[in-house]
Amino acid sequence: MKFDRRRLLEKGWKIGGGLLAAAAGWTSWDLLQPLKPAGATGKLKLGSPSKFEPGTATFVNAGRLWVSNADGHLFAISQKCPHLGCRVPFCESSGRFECPCHGSVFDIGGEWISGPSPRGLDQHPLTLEDGELVADLGVHIKGPDHGAAEYLSPPLGPSCSEGG
Amino acid sequence: MSKSTTTVDHSSQDVLEPEARPVPEGRVARLQHGETWRSIFRHPHLDTPRGRALQSFSNVFLHIYPVKVPSRVLKLRYSWRLGYIASVLFAVLLVTGIYLMFFYTPSVTAAYGDMQQLRTGVGFGQLIRNVHRWSAHLMVLVVVLHLVRVFYAGAYKRPRQFNWVLGVSLLLITLGFSFTGYLLPWDQLSYWAVTVGTNLISYVPVLGKQLSDLLIGGEQIGQATLLRFYSLHVAVLPVALGLLLMVHIWRVRKDGFAVKRGEVGSFAEGSTDRLVVTSSGAEPATEDGQRVRLLGVVDRESVTAEERLTDDTVFTWPHMLVRHVVVGLGTVATVLALGVLFAAPLRGIANPNETPEPAKAPWYFVGLQELLSRFDPLVAGIFVPTALVLVLVFLPYIDRNSATEARNRKVAITIFSIVLAAVIVLTVIGALFRGPGWQFITPWDHNYLEL
Ligand code: HEM
Ligand code: FES
Repeated sequence: MKFDRRRLLEKGWKIGGGLLAAAAGWTSWDLLQPLKPAGATGKLKLGSPSKFEPGTATFVNAGRLWVSNADGHLFAISQKCPHLGCRVPFCESSGRFECPCHGSVFDIGGEWISGPSPRGLDQHPLTLEDGELVADLGVHIKGPDHGAAEYLSPPLGPSCSEGG
Repeated sequence: MSKSTTTVDHSSQDVLEPEARPVPEGRVARLQHGETWRSIFRHPHLDTPRGRALQSFSNVFLHIYPVKVPSRVLKLRYSWRLGYIASVLFAVLLVTGIYLMFFYTPSVTAAYGDMQQLRTGVGFGQLIRNVHRWSAHLMVLVVVLHLVRVFYAGAYKRPRQFNWVLGVSLLLITLGFSFTGYLLPWDQLSYWAVTVGTNLISYVPVLGKQLSDLLIGGEQIGQATLLRFYSLHVAVLPVALGLLLMVHIWRVRKDGFAVKRGEVGSFAEGSTDRLVVTSSGAEPATEDGQRVRLLGVVDRESVTAEERLTDDTVFTWPHMLVRHVVVGLGTVATVLALGVLFAAPLRGIANPNETPEPAKAPWYFVGLQELLSRFDPLVAGIFVPTALVLVLVFLPYIDRNSATEARNRKVAITIFSIVLAAVIVLTVIGALFRGPGWQFITPWDHNYLEL
């Protein structure tokens, strides 16, 4: 292969330009990565399990989660809808979680009943330490798939969103 | 000016139009012929063909226009001036946006307060905000209408394929503007609309989580998101839109306006810039059916080789310009009136612990939201919009039919019209017929549309 100045320059600027572009791309990608989340990640103490009555769901702001009691089974349920991330409130009158954004409905155990959510509500593991409930915020358990309906019961009453 | 200009009086300042040079009279005229004035405005206003041509090409801003345009371009029917109106709205948005920057801090603790302050504590603050907001909504609408017009006119076909692609990019950037701007007031409306919007991205196969983290700068919408959206909104997108718009408009000129031209029948390719080579010393004619030299000031002998057909064209200055000024003023008057009459909404401060009922995306995305409430998010949120955008981008390369008359492009028009109708129906349902919990409601009972 002939190697002269013209060829060198012709190839050189392309290679150089390519490298520069790659470096710029990599730098931007790296630079724009999110910083480590400042939010709560550790273990969250929730107090005595007896605080949470059957058939209720209690919101715990520190962990942005609901502690629900489905016939004696306790859950730490994430407030974030697996569909598109709206906050899902618990509807007292129907005894279900009802998402205001696109109408997904979940039972008190967080299981999917209807609506566009691809699965049930996500959860955090709950353990009992020295008589106190502890939720591990660092661990996310994906919500149960469609079709799981262990805690499904007929609605207690009217839904919160009907009729506005 | 019917005689040729072989006898140029070089001692005169108006070398270009020696015969038409007006005699300075009165103070203004003397000022305009003085050294200082002429150092700024190089040519006097001369109402002669050459004077009009000079108006255009001796002015850096008017350079974006061709010196002459086919007369049909002046008809409203040609473009409905939609592309031009979109440009004017963009200019209004730049100006009002810069005002807003003086009062806005992109911080979750300050942003909402700044919006309130704008309403109560800054002279005309609310008006500026209203005008910015209504112009933004209007711009989305006008750009979409512009796209629709270009489609039905068949103006995306050869040689304008690439300009259509640029146009689709402009539409996407316009939507990006709206979406990033939507978050900035940091109220409940913005927080939840953007939550829903950004969560969509996490459904993208494989890279979804990373992309959404990159956009919102973390797990949840917060300070990092606000700063990122702000930077995109006030720096990245304006530069991108400005550059692409320059190329877009330049291409309209270079590709020749998509109007039917008398002698060619179909759209003339590059008609405004086609140079016609004539043998030598072509006869100079009069304004109707004459030739005009557009190459600048050169002496007669050197231009004879390159002249341009002037058949059905008229001078941009003043014919086109005066129409643009009128439409531009009308646009500004419209958004000002909207700003005076209607206040931009500001709900309660963003609260991650309370989703408002219903949480709706901005109106141009509610069609998507409606689709999302019915289908799997991967299908409704990713596949359908991606397919739509890809087909739009590549439309000129997919639709190879060169006909521009409706009767010869029935298939393309039918498909496009069906998709357009579907988009409109979904948007109207999502915007007007959906209430809390995305339940079906009737808008005459309660209106949940939020702009
Ligand atoms: C920010 C948004 C946009 C602005 C400011 C803009 C501006 C303009 C302007 C000023 C014109 C001259 C003719 C007219 O007024 O209609 C034009 C023509 C054109 N636009 Fe756009 N445009 C935008 C978006 C789009 C979009 C979304 C498309 C389509 C995908 C598009 C495709 C075209 C094409 C193909 C032409 C040439 C048509 C012709 O020569 O008649 N533009 N645009
Ligand atoms: S975000 Fe909950 S249903 Fe869409």
